[in-house]
Amino acid sequence: MSDPALKAVNLVKVYSGGAVPVHAVRGVDLQVEPGEFVAVMGPSGSGKSTLVHMLGGLDTRTSGEIWVGGTRADTLSESAWALLRRKKIGFVFQFFNLVASMTVADNVELPALLGGASPREARERREHLLGALNLTDRADASPARLSGGEQQRVALARALANKPSVLLADEPTGNLDSRNTRDVLRLLGEVHRDGQTIVMVTHDARVAGLADRVVALFDGEVVDDGRITRRRTGTAGAVIDLR
Amino acid sequence: MSTTRAGIRWIRADLRARKGQATLTVLVVAGIVAALIAAVTLLEDGTNPWRGLFAQTEGAHVWFYTKDNTAQLVATGQIDGVTSVAGPYRSAPVTVVQDGKKEPAALRALPAAPPRVAHPVVTEGRWLDTAEPGGVVVERSYARALRLRIGAPFTIIALSGERHSLYVRGIADSAEQGFYPEWTPGLAWVLPETLDRVEPMLGRSQWVTGLRLTDAESAQVVSQRVVVMLDDELQRLYTWREIRAAMELDNRLLGTLLALFGVVGLIAAALALANAAGGRVLGQLRDLATLKSMGFTKGQIALLLLVEHGALGLLGIALGTLAGWGGTVAVLGTTSVAPMPVLAILAGTALVVLAAVGLPAWRGGRTPPIPAAPALPPRGHLSRLARLALLVRLPPALVLGTRDAFTRRVPAFLTAFGLAVPMMMITIGLGVWATLDNFAGHPEQVGQHAALHVGPGKLTAAEAERHIRADRDVRAFYPGTDVNALAPGEGRSVRVRAIGGSAEPYPFPVVEGRQYAEPGEAVAGQGLLDLLGVKIGDRVRLTVGGSPLIVRIVGRAIEPDSDGEVLSVGLDSLAAKDTVPPEFYALALKPGADPAEVAARLLTESGESLDVQIVVNPADRLAVIRVVIVALIAVLTLIGLANLLTASALGLRDHAVDLAVLKAMGLTPRQVMATLVTGTGLLVVLGVAAGTAAGASVVTGLIDLQGHTSGVGAGIARPPSAMTLAVAVLVAVGTALAVALIPARRAARAQVPVTSR
Repeated sequence: MSDPALKAVNLVKVYSGGAVPVHAVRGVDLQVEPGEFVAVMGPSGSGKSTLVHMLGGLDTRTSGEIWVGGTRADTLSESAWALLRRKKIGFVFQFFNLVASMTVADNVELPALLGGASPREARERREHLLGALNLTDRADASPARLSGGEQQRVALARALANKPSVLLADEPTGNLDSRNTRDVLRLLGEVHRDGQTIVMVTHDARVAGLADRVVALFDGEVVDDGRITRRRTGTAGAVIDLR
Repeated sequence: MSTTRAGIRWIRADLRARKGQATLTVLVVAGIVAALIAAVTLLEDGTNPWRGLFAQTEGAHVWFYTKDNTAQLVATGQIDGVTSVAGPYRSAPVTVVQDGKKEPAALRALPAAPPRVAHPVVTEGRWLDTAEPGGVVVERSYARALRLRIGAPFTIIALSGERHSLYVRGIADSAEQGFYPEWTPGLAWVLPETLDRVEPMLGRSQWVTGLRLTDAESAQVVSQRVVVMLDDELQRLYTWREIRAAMELDNRLLGTLLALFGVVGLIAAALALANAAGGRVLGQLRDLATLKSMGFTKGQIALLLLVEHGALGLLGIALGTLAGWGGTVAVLGTTSVAPMPVLAILAGTALVVLAAVGLPAWRGGRTPPIPAAPALPPRGHLSRLARLALLVRLPPALVLGTRDAFTRRVPAFLTAFGLAVPMMMITIGLGVWATLDNFAGHPEQVGQHAALHVGPGKLTAAEAERHIRADRDVRAFYPGTDVNALAPGEGRSVRVRAIGGSAEPYPFPVVEGRQYAEPGEAVAGQGLLDLLGVKIGDRVRLTVGGSPLIVRIVGRAIEPDSDGEVLSVGLDSLAAKDTVPPEFYALALKPGADPAEVAARLLTESGESLDVQIVVNPADRLAVIRVVIVALIAVLTLIGLANLLTASALGLRDHAVDLAVLKAMGLTPRQVMATLVTGTGLLVVLGVAAGTAAGASVVTGLIDLQGHTSGVGAGIARPPSAMTLAVAVLVAVGTALAVALIPARRAARAQVPVTSR
């Protein structure tokens, strides 16, 4: 059996900056197989964003282990994490976080260039991605001129520009209206069908319903981890199969 | 490679997004570098004419004048360290009449074949020729002062009063004396037979000898040997150091001023750069975090910022070098920009620039990689100042603005400090301006009580006095004589100026000690005190024309002539042989009298017999400093502006979210604007006030220090008037507020922003 795409063992995060230490994540075990689409759900303050930030190396863990594609990552330095992200991890954020001074095209090409692609390859990949996301005509626009949904689609294109092994999405639809939410989710579903491993944080059950598996967090602990099976033909009445 | 490509993309996009700020940064650095290069070139050029001329003419290091041409003169060539001897040449004092003016000159006999050592280098026309005995070759600065051209008539009056008409055959450079009119008399060369015709009396001429040495540093030792050897024969002696000093006077002063401004300006520019880069980084934290989440490492982000902001600085350095170089070449008309100091400046400025942007870059690199983390200004309690404002019931907008001014301590300090430094320099510039004004307005305070110097010329002393006394605008006149005196152990001459009687002394501006009151007392310039290593109260022993002169220095006067190396005594302190008849009369005019008018009248009344010279005010010689001050103020204003824009951009960014809240709370756009402007304006007022205070407190000290080192002496400095300072402060603050108002207005009018955090 191949290595899991992402694995966390007894992951703990304690914020000790304030007067009282805050236990954001308390011993989470999580294993994401290649090609899996995992939704991490939970109410506000349950530690889901912290978890996904730690999985991507944006935040340091207090204790526990993180494995990315069979290599241990939690012991890496900040710089080594950055190098790892270039190759293996794509991020989508709630507030899109496009680089404001760069055009849409540059935003998408940047990670590809960073990953070692030649300018030509980067351009071809960007054209392909923007075409797939229906954004070809906005390539030269500044992000500020785009609607929220468009911005998030660009952010998604950017996250996919490097063909990462894991796509980490932190509330990708949290700031979008329902139509844009549907668009973005449809796109996530499409890339997942093409084999993309996705870990998505959300507090919206309807959004989570798109995933293969829902992990519920509460007060920094996994309280539920369920796989959703779907009838290939059916569109309604999904059956939850508890493991 | 991959990061380079990605990094370049990002830098390009970022620069495109802030063209104005980037341009300003480049301009600021360019202005400072141009000022520094101009300073170094002027400083270097101040010494270069001598160095260049000395090399070209294979000049002599030591020059001395004797009464007779004796065998001893040849013996001086045997002194250790002397490689060759120039001369002895016969030299006669004459007066050159040009355009109605009379200028003193020394007519020197040189052979038709130029000598090997200390040969004048002809720059225009040709050297002397036995076929043309009426030809004369004139030293270049003298020719320029008299507006002499090749072929022009050269009319001279010998001591006998006889007129001779020669013509200018050539104009030549020489390193044997300083430039006219700083160094008098002017110099012209004729053939020996021509000089014999003009001045047949050997007794009225001197012999000039130059010694070229193996080692320039041994000039002091050699000149002492000459003094011992020739003893009473020796009339005057000087070395290459005095010539060089005389040639560099004005430019050195200017260069020092520029260098001072340049160095402090560089510090200010570094601050502005650090401020601009730091502000930009603060504004970009979110983008930087995004870059990190994409896989840029800490070091790469820091490098990226360093390259971006550093490149702007380096571009500024390149432009400034071009401008400074081109400017000095255009103004000075030379290519004597010294490569070494310029390279040092470039390297130094580059280092300063990189250091200035290094810190913000390093900080930017440390941004946490979670883009969602908003970069909030530190919130907190109201500052003490704001509480005070609240206490005295100031309008809420002012209170909020006061609070905002200090939310970020370091940038607030940098902004105030970054404005204080340029303001301090501007104040110093205004002080220099005021000092120059004082030179021009009150020449008597810089040792120029007399506006005219009148030589008896063809008249007797009694006749000359009668003419002077008869003029209605002459308030007082003082007979005087300039003699050269040999200082013991110095091996060189100093100027002794005997003027007026000891009982009724010429009103020298004595700034230390007291005026001389009896024979045997003297006042000296700073340069003389430094040269002889004496202080007020000391006795000095000099030799004037063979007879000893022992005086006690009782005071120090401001002395703008001869680098301050002048000893002033009453006429009765000198032996009668040196003072009768007086060489000139110093005329103090009545208030409001025009020196040129009086000069013209005296000439007419005396039938062109008197020799009238208008005293040149030092402010006229230093007029170019005013241009420099204006240019520097412009550069400093740019620096201040750069700081201000950074501050107001940062203020806006910090408050973009607050603005929505403030508006929601019911502040009118006008109040919002007032809040923003108060935030920046308070720092501006603080910075400008601190800078002006600092500048005003050091300005007189600095100018006096410069006066001290240049020999003129401390006591010349005048602080800028309170009125000038008030206007400068008001203009600075007003401009700053106007500049801060534009973005504030836009922000206040904008829709309540729906920003995301």
